[in-house]
Amino acid sequence: MPATTAPRLRGSGFGFALPAILLLLAFFVIPVAMLLTRSLTEPEPGLQNYITLLGSTTYAKIFFNTFFVAGVVTAITVLIAFPVAWTLAILPKGWAAVLFAVILLSMWTNLLARTYAWMVLLQQTGLINRMLMGLGLIDQPLQLTNNLVGVTIGMVYIMLPFMILPLLGVIQKIDPAILQAAALCGATKGQALRRVLVPLAAPGIASGALMVFVMSLGYYVTPSLLGGTANMMLAELIAQQVQSLVNWGMGGAAAFLLLVVTLGLYAVQLRFFERGEAG
Amino acid sequence: MLLDFDKLGSWRWVLCAICVAMALFLLLPILFIVALSFGSSRWLIFPPPGWTLKWYGELFADPRWLGAALTSAKIGVIVMALSVALGLLASLALVRGKFRGRAVLRAFFLTPMVLPVVIVAVALYAAFLRLGLNGTLPGFVIAHLIVALPFAIITLTGALETFDPAIEDAAILCGASPWEARLRVTLPGIRHGVFSAAIFSFLISWDEVVLAIFMASPSLQTLPVKVWTTLRQDLTPVIAAASTLLVALTVILMIAAALIRKGKSE
Repeated sequence: MPATTAPRLRGSGFGFALPAILLLLAFFVIPVAMLLTRSLTEPEPGLQNYITLLGSTTYAKIFFNTFFVAGVVTAITVLIAFPVAWTLAILPKGWAAVLFAVILLSMWTNLLARTYAWMVLLQQTGLINRMLMGLGLIDQPLQLTNNLVGVTIGMVYIMLPFMILPLLGVIQKIDPAILQAAALCGATKGQALRRVLVPLAAPGIASGALMVFVMSLGYYVTPSLLGGTANMMLAELIAQQVQSLVNWGMGGAAAFLLLVVTLGLYAVQLRFFERGEAG
Repeated sequence: MLLDFDKLGSWRWVLCAICVAMALFLLLPILFIVALSFGSSRWLIFPPPGWTLKWYGELFADPRWLGAALTSAKIGVIVMALSVALGLLASLALVRGKFRGRAVLRAFFLTPMVLPVVIVAVALYAAFLRLGLNGTLPGFVIAHLIVALPFAIITLTGALETFDPAIEDAAILCGASPWEARLRVTLPGIRHGVFSAAIFSFLISWDEVVLAIFMASPSLQTLPVKVWTTLRQDLTPVIAAASTLLVALTVILMIAAALIRKGKSE
């Protein structure tokens, strides 16, 4: 269609965006910018907050925890989400709808309710430990909360839908004829999977994985409830510096590092993956 | 072959097994909490030795739970209204506007969704300390609006993009003023998008916890903050009762959203 018939009736329309722009400037851009400034000015001007943050082993452990958990969570989610998204794309309609409803229900159930469920399930006297002991697999209850095991399980639970949904979108767009062609050319199922389906789904896997990784890096609620203070992650460090220690300089510096990593990875995603998917 | 369910052969059963296992993994913890909320064991023994409603009794007997739920509902409704209103205006600008940099503006509107909430929370907490907005209703509303707005904008731009602007032009050519055309032609045309944006915005505010932990004061807290502070003390079954009610609300809103989608396709 050519340009609309009566553009002069509507003006440029920029004014409509103003309320939202002003809101975000006043209560998002300026506050975040001020927080980042404080990392350079408090307690005194200079880079010492960043030097402390990047130089000490205490903080190195927090960075390690954060990236390690985010990496493991991403890997596990990809391994589960790929077969699920694949099945979801080809399942008869009724069953697909049921499975889809389960995923959406889990995704929209209150985050604290879901984390609470895992805190109860994983505790020393919890159902998981008692089942494992009942089956004779272990003699002593395993320590599953207040450590990174608990955080990983809880995070995989929360991140799964965020991996399944984008993957489903990509797999649904693949033309089944391509896989028929592979079969006609003599490819076994294994070959078709490894050399046709997975490569075709690769952009979706990569962008979903990146999204889950970025979300995991900055996650606060689940790590602090299931991980305990001894296994802190970056988001908890920021909250702790500001809330308990009232150390705005360090809090701001940690926030800035998280911000840079997040936006950096997000830029990678925009540059390499969005273009292919948009088509 | 691999994308044809009937021709998958034995692989079919492997895939189905994985899906069933994952569905149970997602579903069982939620059902577990629902069961525990009716169980009589304070120590959350499963299966429960008996059934009771006393945790719901405790929940409703404590005015702090009810107060927190009311606060959450109040904030959620205000956020919903503001998010849809601002989101509609912003989406009109993004979809129908004729100015440079619309793609940049769209990306800008979506940034609060991309940044870790904890950064926004800490930054707003600092700003609100100066403005005296921590622990106030406007403070909660502003904080939740920042994170709800991107979702409203995504939904509403999507709806507007599928609505032909020529219909609006026709109304104007027939003598309607531009605002009349928007309110009486375009708005009804995209009402499904508006309802979805409203439900999303309410749910985001209702469930939001990180911002709320920072904004909350002893006298004003939302339901998730109350759950959070209780959880950090002990794993009482009262939280299971509260969680069950939250799950029930989620199911109701999901059904509402599904009905809206169904209404749209008819």
